[in-house]
Amino acid sequence: METSLKLDFDKGTLILQDVPEALQPHLPDIRWDERTLTFRAPAYRYRHIVSQLRAHDIPYQDTARQFTVEPFTHQKLLTPYPYQTEAIDAWHANGKRGVVTLPTGAGKTFIAILLIADTQRPTLVHVPTIDLMHQWYTVLTEYFGQEIGRYGGGYHELRDLTVTTYQSAVMHAPYYGNRFGFAIFDECHHLPGEQYQYAAISSIAPFRLGLTATPERVDGKESRLYALVGECCYEAQVQELSGKTLSEYRVVTITVEMEDTERVRYEEARSIYLNFLKQARINMGTPRGWHTFLWKTSQTDEGRDAFKAYLTQKQLSFASTTKQEWVWKLIQRHRGDRILIFTQDNDTAYQIGTRFFLPVLTHQTKPKERNAFLNGFRDGTYSILVTSKVLNEGVDVPEANVAIIVSGSGSVREHVQRLGRILRKREGKQAVLYELISKQTGEHFVNKRRRQHHAYRTK
Amino acid sequence: MSTSDADNTTLIGQSSRHTPCAVNQNTMLTKDLLRYKIQKGQIHPEFVKPTDRQLLAIAEQLIAVFEASPDIQRATLLESSKHIIDSTPGTPIIKRGLEKLLLDRTEFDTEPNEELIAFRQKLFTETSRLLSQEHFEDYTDYQGKVSQIMADESSTEEVELSAKLYADLPSCQPVLTFNTLSAERLLHRYNAAQVQGLLLHCDTLTLKLADSMTAELRQLFKYLRFNQLLSTIRKERTDGKEIYQITVDGPLNLFYKTKRYGMNLANFFIAVLHQPKWELTAEIQFRNNRRSQLSLDESCGIKPISQQFLAYIPEDIQLFQAMLQNKTDDWQIRPGSQFLPLAGDFYCFPDYQLVHKSGVETAIELFHPWHQGHLIARLKTLADQTDVSLILGVSKELKKNALIAEALESSEYFSQFGFTFRDVPTMRALLPILNSFV
Repeated sequence: METSLKLDFDKGTLILQDVPEALQPHLPDIRWDERTLTFRAPAYRYRHIVSQLRAHDIPYQDTARQFTVEPFTHQKLLTPYPYQTEAIDAWHANGKRGVVTLPTGAGKTFIAILLIADTQRPTLVHVPTIDLMHQWYTVLTEYFGQEIGRYGGGYHELRDLTVTTYQSAVMHAPYYGNRFGFAIFDECHHLPGEQYQYAAISSIAPFRLGLTATPERVDGKESRLYALVGECCYEAQVQELSGKTLSEYRVVTITVEMEDTERVRYEEARSIYLNFLKQARINMGTPRGWHTFLWKTSQTDEGRDAFKAYLTQKQLSFASTTKQEWVWKLIQRHRGDRILIFTQDNDTAYQIGTRFFLPVLTHQTKPKERNAFLNGFRDGTYSILVTSKVLNEGVDVPEANVAIIVSGSGSVREHVQRLGRILRKREGKQAVLYELISKQTGEHFVNKRRRQHHAYRTK
Repeated sequence: MSTSDADNTTLIGQSSRHTPCAVNQNTMLTKDLLRYKIQKGQIHPEFVKPTDRQLLAIAEQLIAVFEASPDIQRATLLESSKHIIDSTPGTPIIKRGLEKLLLDRTEFDTEPNEELIAFRQKLFTETSRLLSQEHFEDYTDYQGKVSQIMADESSTEEVELSAKLYADLPSCQPVLTFNTLSAERLLHRYNAAQVQGLLLHCDTLTLKLADSMTAELRQLFKYLRFNQLLSTIRKERTDGKEIYQITVDGPLNLFYKTKRYGMNLANFFIAVLHQPKWELTAEIQFRNNRRSQLSLDESCGIKPISQQFLAYIPEDIQLFQAMLQNKTDDWQIRPGSQFLPLAGDFYCFPDYQLVHKSGVETAIELFHPWHQGHLIARLKTLADQTDVSLILGVSKELKKNALIAEALESSEYFSQFGFTFRDVPTMRALLPILNSFV
C-alpha cells in the first residue's frame, strides 16, 4: 500500500508524517522533532507546504485543515469607493494576502466585509481591544445576518465568523488555529509584538489581510508584519482623502500659561527630577532610559523623591488649572457639537469628568456602562465624552467633530489615531482638533515630536 | 512548618469564588520587583532569608494589615501597606514584592454598582442637555445649576456630588477575602516567585532529577501535561548514579527562541519544588539583552508552595481501584512511579502501575485530548519494541482526528495492548488485556 504524506495540526504547529526524502529539501520550514518523532513546521507555513506538495504532485492526507468553503453573503447592497475597489483588487493580485494602509475613517472594515464575502472561508478577525471586538461583532452581524462568534473579554464563542482580541488569540490559537481559512488583523501594527505575532504564527489560514492607518513601528518590526500577513499591497494618505471621503479638518494648538503657584511647584519638581537624571547619568532619550530611571529611583530615598518629583511635574503639565479653564472655554465655544476630550492618564480624565460632570470612558469602565456611554454619545444623549486612551484606536464614533487633546504622549501613531476619531465624513462636517500645550514645559518638545506625521501638515 | 502545610491557608472575609490553590499558583512578581545579579553570564536571584527576623516581623505586619482588610477599600488598604513599607527598615523593593504577593491573594468586589451607574446616567443626561442648550460664561454658574437639579431630583448635596460620581473606581473597591498565610511561608513564596519571575523570560528549561522514583514524579508529569509542555527524557550516569535529564519546552521552540511558554514553565516550577534532589538550568533573556544562565538546585532551600500529593490518592486512582476490585482481586493498581525505558534512549512516565498477585507487573499510559502530542511517536516506538510492558489507553475524542484514528487502526501493538475510553477507562476494555500478561 502506498503511504501518502500526512499533515496534521498540533498546538499551533503542523505535524508531517511520512515525508518522502526527495521532497524534504523543498520544504525548508520543516524540522525533525525528536520529542514526538515527527516532522514539524510553524502553522502559518501551511499554505507554502501545501503549494509545494501540489507543485511536486505529492499525494497527501490533510487533517490539519478543519475548514471548508462557506458561502457568506452580505445582506446589503454594497458599493465601494474607487479607492476601496483598488485596495480589494491589489489584495487579490497579491495572492489574497497583504496589508492595506488607509487613514482612520476611510472604511477599512467595509473592505474587510467585501473580502470575507469574496473569499468564502471561515474568518477570524483579530482586534487589539474589547471595544473593537464588540464593534466588529455589531458590524458583521448587521452585514451578514448570521451568528457571529466572539472570543476574549469573557466570551468563548467560536463560529464561522469570529472576532477575537490579539491577547486571546495568542492563548487560544494553538487550539483553533486550523479552523479558519481567512485571518484578518485589524490595527495590524500591533501584530509584530513579541507575543502577539504568535496569533499569526499559530494559524494555518492561507488568506490574510492586515488593516492599519500606520504600519510603521518605532522598533522597525513592520518587516515581521509583512512576513506573517503579506506585503503592503495598497496605501492612501489622509490628505488624498480629506474632503472627499474624510471630513475637512484643522488642527489648532493652544499654548497655555500655568498659574504662578503651579509654575513654582512645576519648576521645583522638574529641577529635582533633572538633577537626579544628571547625577545618576541617566539618558531618558535612550531605549533603556525609562527602565534605568525606574530601577535607580527605587534604590534610595533620594531616588524616591526624584520619582515623586517626576510625577508632580508631569501631572502639573498634563492637568494645570489653566488647561482645565481652557477645556471649559472650548466646551462653551462648541455648544451643540460632539466633543471628545483626550488625556494621557486616567487620573486627569476623572479629574475633568468630576469637575465638569461628564462621562469618562477608560479601561476601568465596565462593559455595560462603556456601551451605554458610546451609544449615548452616538445618539446625542451625551454630547461630550472624556477618555484617556481607550478611544485612540478603531472605535467608530462618526458623530464626533471636535477633539480636545488635554495631554498625550509623543507617539505619532497615538495622535494620528486621535485625529482619526473625528474624521468620519458627515454632510457639512468641519472637524477641529485642539491641542493644549503647557508653555515652557516638556510638553512643548513632545508636541513637536508628534507633529512630524504628514497628517499634521494640513492644507 | 512542614512542607505539607503549603496550602493550609485560611480565607479571611466572605466566601471566595477561587480555590486557595488557584490563587497561589497565579501569584507572580512583575519584572520591576525582581531582584537578581548577573555575573559572568550567570543570573543569580537574590533570595531573602526565610529566618530573617527583621523581615519576618515586616511580613507579619503586612499580613496583619491584609487580614484586617475585608470590607476596606483598595486605596485604604494600599495606604496602610505603604505606611509599613515606608516606615520599616530594609529594602523597599523586597517589601513591595511581598505586598504584591499579598495583593494577589486578595479578592476585591469588582461587581458593577448599579445604583451609581443609574445615578451617572441621570446626571450626564442632565449635564449634556444643559451644556447643549445654555451658555455658562462662568463655570461656577453651571456647577450651581447642576447641583440644584440633582438636589431636586435625588436629594444629593452639592458637596456629595463630586465625591459620589465615580465612587466605584478600582481604588474604591472593597476587599472581599484575603487568603492568609504565615510570615515564613510568605518569604518562601517570595523566593519561589523570584525564580518564577525569571522563568517567564526563558524558552527552555532543563531539569536533572535524582532519587525521585516516587509519586513526586507523577505530580511533575501532571504539571507538565496540564501546562501543555513537551519534554525529552534522557538517562545519564554521573558519579555512578542514575540521573534523569528532562528538557522541557513547547512545540514552537523547535523554530523560535520564544518565551511564548514562559508562563507555562513558571507554573511548572511549582512541581519541581516537590522533588527531593533537582537541578534546574534555564537561559534567561530580558527583551533584547544578552542571555544569562540560571542554575539552581534544591540547596536554594525554597519550600514547596503547593499541595504535595505523596500521601494523597487522587480521585481517578480511587475510582479506578474501586472498579478493578469490583471485578477482580487478582490485580492491584497504584499511581505510576517510575520511568519506563523505550527504544532510542527515550523514557516515558506511565500514569498507573498494575501488579498481579503472581508478581507480574505492567503499566498504563493514558492519552487525553489535551496531550496527544506523543501518541503517534509512542505507537511508532512500541511497534519495534518487544521488551516493554505498557498498555495504552486512548480517549475516544482523539479518534476524531483521522490521522490518529488511522495510526491506531494500523498499529499491531495497539490492537494487542491498547484500548479506548470515553471519560475513564472501563474494566471491560482493560481486563482482557491485563489477563493476557499472565
